[in-house]
Amino acid sequence: MAVELRDDSDNGSDYSRPGSPSLSLPTPPLSGTSRSKGLGIVDHATFDQLLDMDDEDEFSKNLVLNYFEQAERAFGDMDEAMSASDLLALSRLGHFLKGSSAQLGVLKVKASCEKLQYYGQRMDAAGQHSLISNEEAEKQIRVLLTQMRHEYDEAENYLRVFYGEQEDEEGDEEDQRQQQ
Amino acid sequence: MSVDSIHGHALRLDSPLQLDQRKIKVMIVDDNSINLSILSRMLEKHFTDIVQLTVFMTSGVEALQRLATEEFDLILMDIDMPVLTGVQTTVAIRQNTSECPVLEHNQNVPIIAVTTSDGAEQRALYQQVGMSDCVSKPIVLSKLRSAIEGAMKGIKRVLCE
Repeated sequence: MAVELRDDSDNGSDYSRPGSPSLSLPTPPLSGTSRSKGLGIVDHATFDQLLDMDDEDEFSKNLVLNYFEQAERAFGDMDEAMSASDLLALSRLGHFLKGSSAQLGVLKVKASCEKLQYYGQRMDAAGQHSLISNEEAEKQIRVLLTQMRHEYDEAENYLRVFYGEQEDEEGDEEDQRQQQ
Repeated sequence: MSVDSIHGHALRLDSPLQLDQRKIKVMIVDDNSINLSILSRMLEKHFTDIVQLTVFMTSGVEALQRLATEEFDLILMDIDMPVLTGVQTTVAIRQNTSECPVLEHNQNVPIIAVTTSDGAEQRALYQQVGMSDCVSKPIVLSKLRSAIEGAMKGIKRVLCE
């Protein structure tokens, strides 16, 4: 099946890159502790669907790396929008990152992005149409952005361990404790 | 080759048998590269029985420009995009005005919404503007297949009438 590549959106990210450089480290099996930590951080029902589509081109790993780049850019843009008190921009950015977070099964980030989307439109966290003030929205968003960053860092750490880019220090410690 | 008409617009259509055998040309419209990558990979890996060619567009504006010059059999449309939303793009396709023309074949091409905005009210809106189905993100393969097959069956029903 032929695939025509067309444009690259979101500031130059190469969204489909067969043959692009990939990490040479093999993917180690996650320890039981590490895998269970995925629960609540990464939805493996969604994520495993991506793994199933892996080939020699390491599709899922490149996708995740692309997601990291996209998320970092989004967080930078969110900080700028926050400085400018641009609530609509924050809402758009929340929605944008929500989509890709959902596709990768990054649950907490997705949930927080949805709240950002709503707060940016001056709705409450559930998206009900009860308008909150600009000041209240900014206050909620300020707290949310910090929380989202923590959630993202947690997901990034989990995924980097999953792909063998870094050691699962907490998981190893837990395994050792369980063995004692 | 049979000629039929829907809503007063003449359509050039293959016979049902030819459509059964012919693979389809799909346009994916999404401003998020991650989503484009996943959806295109799904079509590439799991829909080789149906899909011949996939084309990516990163905006509704780009999609309309392409639809003015090239025929497609199916569009997978993101909803929340800047400048032109998926709904606005669909309306433009269906209306096919002189200000915003598309090829006649494309005016009634099946369009499936692929989105996180999938509440009941939103789904009703998508149907109202002429979309044939809505697939939620994260995409579940079986639901995507069901939506695509349903959309293509809708075309075949038209051919047989």
